[in-house]
Amino acid sequence: MKVWRGKFKLPQKIMRHIADKRKETVGYPMTLRTYIIRRSILIIPSFFVISLIIFMLIHMAPGDPTRIMTGPRGRLPPDVLALMRKELGLDQPLHIQYLQWLGRLLQGNFGFSYVSYRPVLDMIGERIFNTLELMLLAEIASVVVATILGVIAAVKVHSVPDALASLAALIGYSIPNFWIALMAILFFSVQLGWLPVAGLRSYGAIYNSPIDAWVDHLKHLILPVSILTFGWTAYLFRMVRSSMLDVLGQDYITTARAKGLKERIVIYKHALRNALLPVITYEGYSIGFLLGGAAVIEYIFAWPGLGMFMVDIATWRDFPTLMGLSMTICLMVLVANLCADIAYALADPRIRYD
Amino acid sequence: MAMGEPHMKSEDETKVYKPSMASRVYVVWRELKKSKLTIAGFSIVLFMVLIALLSPIIAPYDHRWQGTSGIPPSLEHPFGTDGQGRDMLSLVMHGARVSLYVGLAAVLMEICIGVTTGMIAGYFGGKIDEIFMRFTDLIMTLPTFMLLIVAVSMFEVRNINVIILIMGLFGWPFMARVVRSEFLSLRETTFVEAAVSMGASNWRIIVHHILPNTLSSVIVLATMDIPWYIFYEATLTFLGFGDPSSPSWGVLLQIGYYYLRSYWWIITFPGLALFFTSLGFNLFGDGLRDALDVRARGR
Repeated sequence: MKVWRGKFKLPQKIMRHIADKRKETVGYPMTLRTYIIRRSILIIPSFFVISLIIFMLIHMAPGDPTRIMTGPRGRLPPDVLALMRKELGLDQPLHIQYLQWLGRLLQGNFGFSYVSYRPVLDMIGERIFNTLELMLLAEIASVVVATILGVIAAVKVHSVPDALASLAALIGYSIPNFWIALMAILFFSVQLGWLPVAGLRSYGAIYNSPIDAWVDHLKHLILPVSILTFGWTAYLFRMVRSSMLDVLGQDYITTARAKGLKERIVIYKHALRNALLPVITYEGYSIGFLLGGAAVIEYIFAWPGLGMFMVDIATWRDFPTLMGLSMTICLMVLVANLCADIAYALADPRIRYD
Repeated sequence: MAMGEPHMKSEDETKVYKPSMASRVYVVWRELKKSKLTIAGFSIVLFMVLIALLSPIIAPYDHRWQGTSGIPPSLEHPFGTDGQGRDMLSLVMHGARVSLYVGLAAVLMEICIGVTTGMIAGYFGGKIDEIFMRFTDLIMTLPTFMLLIVAVSMFEVRNINVIILIMGLFGWPFMARVVRSEFLSLRETTFVEAAVSMGASNWRIIVHHILPNTLSSVIVLATMDIPWYIFYEATLTFLGFGDPSSPSWGVLLQIGYYYLRSYWWIITFPGLALFFTSLGFNLFGDGLRDALDVRARGR
């Protein structure tokens, strides 16, 4: 780290002394790499606690899985049912069942669905990229829009654009996401007929070229992505605005202005970089919350992603699939949090690695 | 009192000035009044609460009454009628009852769990704090809504109280964090030190000395969380995991979804009601936060 830029330099001896002192007081200085490794190891206990929570959540509830397998009208003799329970390991005590499930999970075996009899992992694999596509697009769009609006609102605080943006944000987080999705379908798809109602692509369409297929897919993306973006932008905007206002009131901004820097440089190089730090953390930790919102949007737009899958199998009460899917989603959230923490550490060298 | 005299306390001096509840509420109200937006939010909340309370009296029809189905909004039925011929205005009014009940009850659950966890962690600190907060953080990062779906679907009985219970079980971590940080800073104050030196028990210090001081944060957070629970319940119900026997706004939206293409008014009015209620609580919560000077961050 270069601190002394001028021609005055502290003597080498003093510099070394300071460095030694610092090592003595801090002990072993933790590098970024150690921090990342330590932070990643923290995922393991979280994983076990979450697996326990999910297992208990699903197995504490009353009801017999064999009844789900045989269907609502299924009338099998009790000895057959007992045999089925034995096959599935449901006759074991709960803690044994948990350990068996966990063991299989760690080997990458998520089990088979009680309803479709297909491997759970396959069914998740088919859908995960659809969800990621939707989430990433909306995430990127909302970060960009919220940052631009937030900076404008904070720089021109209490002006007309600020008031308008704040009002829009207020409406954005007061409005139920799924309701606005339905209204959008009603308006754009049913009344005007501009955009397709649901799905990944038009049903039974035959395309002349791959470009046509892409355009069709993009048309289907517009509504869900813009509605998700609208909701998330509202939260992020408030965050960016207040964080930016905080930073703009600090002394070093005054200093930067006093030394005659252009306002543009003060805002984008000095203020924005620091103002975005809390936003990074917020972004990472709100992934779980955002996934929940996305589930409803997926359901409404019949988007074959994890959220819609969750709603479907929850209606069926398909135990192995529910557990596997919940674990997958929780793992995604854990990894997202890890990424946010690492990004924060990379962005802010002042962070205490503890 | 002359200089040399021994210090004798008179009756008036020993009496500590303690503002009454009414005067404290008045001080807050005076602050609240300054912002027009807050007043607007408060009016909306008050309006919705009044409607919820008075719906059996002021609703034009009983919510089970059935007439001709699918009448668009008219003078007779300002919000139209639904697919079964029920008056939408009366249904929305009755829905306010259910939805506000859900919001309040779930927030009460959240306060119970969150405040207890937060105060134990913040007051005792050390290992207890470490364990409690690790767990809280874990719950906080979990995809709440997904787990709500899983948990609610596991119960064969569709009951509104079960939904409230489960929402409360997942919704408390943020409250716990806020209460904990308040306790951490208040624990170091001189009045707590004084209480300790007079031999007050832990329980007495927590409940009588620190807890009242965290009240404003708790109130602000609770106000802002009410619309969340109403949303969550509405969304769960909309997805088909709700209680069809208690017609909340979510149930109405679910009905509206079936008639999306034919009867637009069924989905429009319950959604607007949800929107305005949430707007009211958010504006009021923002105002309360400023008036009580709480540094609670929005979710």
